[in-house]
Amino acid sequence: MVSKSSFSQFSKQSKKGIIIIYLDILYKIIKALWILVFVFIQNFSKTLDNNLSYIYFYLGFFFIFLLLIAFLKYHYFQFKIENNYFILKKGIIKKTNTSIPFDRIQNINFKQNIIQQIINVYEVNIETAGSSKAEISIKALSYEQANALKKTITINDKCNNYIWELDDDNKPNTINNPEIFIEQKPLLKISIMQLLKVSLTENHLKSLLLLLAILFGFYQQITELFNGFGEGELLDNYISENTTNFETNIVLIFILGLLFILVSVISSFVRVFLRHFNLTVYIKNNALEIYQGLTTKKSFILKKEKVQHITVSDNPIKRQLGISFITFKQALSGNVKKKQDKIIKLVGCGQDQVLAIKNLLFSNEKFENFTKNYSSYYFKVRLYLRSIIFLIIINSVLYFIFKYNFVFWINILLLPIFIISIELTFKKRFYLFTNDTLLIGSGTIETHKTYLPFYKVQNVKLKQTFFQSTQNIIDIVFQTASGKIVIPCIREDEAFKIYNYTLFMVENNKYSWM
Amino acid sequence: MLDSFQNIVVSSFPNILEVEFKYINRKYLKVILINITFVYLSLLAAVFFLEYKNILGLEEVTFWLFLFITILFIYTIFIKIIGFKRRKFLVREKDISYKKGVFYKKITTVPFNRIQHVEIDQGPISRFFNLASLSVFTAGDSSDDLKVNGLLKDEAQQIKEYISNQIDG
Repeated sequence: MVSKSSFSQFSKQSKKGIIIIYLDILYKIIKALWILVFVFIQNFSKTLDNNLSYIYFYLGFFFIFLLLIAFLKYHYFQFKIENNYFILKKGIIKKTNTSIPFDRIQNINFKQNIIQQIINVYEVNIETAGSSKAEISIKALSYEQANALKKTITINDKCNNYIWELDDDNKPNTINNPEIFIEQKPLLKISIMQLLKVSLTENHLKSLLLLLAILFGFYQQITELFNGFGEGELLDNYISENTTNFETNIVLIFILGLLFILVSVISSFVRVFLRHFNLTVYIKNNALEIYQGLTTKKSFILKKEKVQHITVSDNPIKRQLGISFITFKQALSGNVKKKQDKIIKLVGCGQDQVLAIKNLLFSNEKFENFTKNYSSYYFKVRLYLRSIIFLIIINSVLYFIFKYNFVFWINILLLPIFIISIELTFKKRFYLFTNDTLLIGSGTIETHKTYLPFYKVQNVKLKQTFFQSTQNIIDIVFQTASGKIVIPCIREDEAFKIYNYTLFMVENNKYSWM
Repeated sequence: MLDSFQNIVVSSFPNILEVEFKYINRKYLKVILINITFVYLSLLAAVFFLEYKNILGLEEVTFWLFLFITILFIYTIFIKIIGFKRRKFLVREKDISYKKGVFYKKITTVPFNRIQHVEIDQGPISRFFNLASLSVFTAGDSSDDLKVNGLLKDEAQQIKEYISNQIDG
C-alpha cells in the first residue's frame, strides 16, 4: 500500500507554485490585452516625462498586487483525498469546493512547460467526463507529490479495473502476452529520425489551415483595435488595394503559392516536434502510458475502458514507410473548447504497435476475416451533387469579386481534383462488424479506420431524405460520448439489422461505457 | 471470409420497426399552428414597420416580400399538418424512441442505461393545453439527443419516473 495518509489532510501545492501561478496570471493578462500593451508602447514616447514616473509607479504597484493575488490563490488552493473522493477547495473571494469520486476520473495527466521544467515542478491535470467545472488543474507539485497523488487515485480505482478483467476472463487477455508484460520495455519509442519522417508525411494542408486560423485570430484582434479607433476603413483600403494588385500579377500568386507550401511544411515540422518529441508509450495494467512533448512535456495514462473509439489512419506516403497514426477519442464533457485536449494522438506507429493496441482494446478480434460492406452508389451521387453546388458557388463568388471571365479557367484545375476526391472517398467508405465491434473505413487521401465497440454507443439514429427513400437507402448515425460516427447511404434492411443489433448490444451488456 | 450480418439472426433480436409507435397528443398540432402564426405575424409586423418608416428604402420589393412570407407561411403549415401524423414515439422496456419527418425522415432511439438525465419543460402555449415536452440527455455532446414534444403533462411525468427508476435500478 502506498501511504494514503499523505493526502488525508488538506495539503497545498509546492511553494514554487506561487511563481507558476504568478506567471500564469501575467500570461493571461498579456494574452487578453497584448494589443493594448502594444498601443501603450507605441504611444510611450509621446507621454510627457513627468508622467513617466507615475506610470512606473502604477506598473510596479500593479505587479506587486498581482503577486499578492498569486500568493492568495496558492494559499487557498488546497486538496485532499477522502473516502475515494478527491476534494479540492479554492478561491480567494468566491470559494469553491469540488469533490470528485475516483470512478468518475477519466485520467490523470502530468504536464511540464518550460518554466515548470526549470523550477522542476509538475502540473497535474485531473480529467473527468463530467462538467467543465470538474476539470482540475494543479499547477505545481513536486515529482514525489505528483506521483504519490497519482498512485493513490489509481490504486483505489483498481477495484474497478479488476472487475473488468474478471469479466473479460473468457477471452484471451493481453496480459498473457509476454512481450507486453515486460513493463519497462516501451511499446513505442519515437526517435528524431522517425519524427522527421512523420512530420514530412503529415497532412501539410491541415498544418497550413491551423496556422491560418491562428493568423486569422490575430487579424481579427487587429481589426477590432482599428475599428475601436474608427480607422477600420484604413485597414480595409490597405487590404483591398493589395488585392487588386493580386489579380494582375500571376507571378506573385505563384510565388505566394510556393511560399504557402514552404510555410505549411515548416509548420507541420514545428507542430509535430513540439507535440510529439520523444514520444514514448508503455502498456501497463490495461492502460497506455504516454510521454511526449518538447517545450511542454506531457504524460498521460489512457485507461482501456475510458477510450470510446479509436481511429487508425495513414496516407499513401506513410503507408510506403509503414507508419500510421492512432487517434484515441475519450468521452467529452459539455464544453467544446477543450475538445482538442481529449483527443490523444500517437504518431509513427508501425504494424506491430497498431496490432498490440488493437489487441489491448478489442481482445484479438479478427477484423480481417470479414468481408467489407460498401455504401450504395447513391452516396457517390450525393457527393457529386454537393460538389456541383459547391463549384457553382465558388465560380459565382470568384466572378463577382474579379468580374473577369478568366476566372472560369480555374475549373480546369478544380474539376479533376473534385472527381478524384469523390471517387476516392467513395472507394474508401466501408463498414463491417464483428460480434462486439464496428469497423468503419473512410478518408479521401488519408485512410481512416475507426473501431467502435457497440456498447460504447450512446444513442442511434436513422436518417432518410426523400430522395434516399425512393431508393430504399438510409444513413445510420451512432452517437458516442466523443462524437458522431456515420455510415452514409446503406440499404434499408441492412441498416435496420444494425440498428436493432446495436440497441440489443447496448441494452444487454454488463460493461460500463466509461 | 465471413459476412458481418451472419452475426445477426434478425428474428432473435427485438425488431423496433415492427412495433407500433404511439401518436403524440392531437392538441399539440394547435400549439404548433399558434406558434407558427405568431412568427408569421411578427414577421409581417416587421415588414410593415420597415415600410412605414421607410428605413431600408424597400418600397418596390415590399409586395414580393409579403408574398414570399405568406407562401412560406402556407408551406410551413402544410408541412406541419402532414408531418404531424408522422410524429410518433415509443417507450419499450429498455429504451425510448422518437420518429418524425415527411421529406426528411428521422428515427432516434436512446437506451435507458445511457441516459444521464431526463427533463420536462412546458412553453406558455403548451401549458394552456396542459402539454409538456420530455427531453433525455446522454453523455458527450448532448445537443442532438432525443426530445418528445406534445405529451400530456401526466404522461410525460409518468415516463420520466419510469426512466428514472430504470436508470437507478
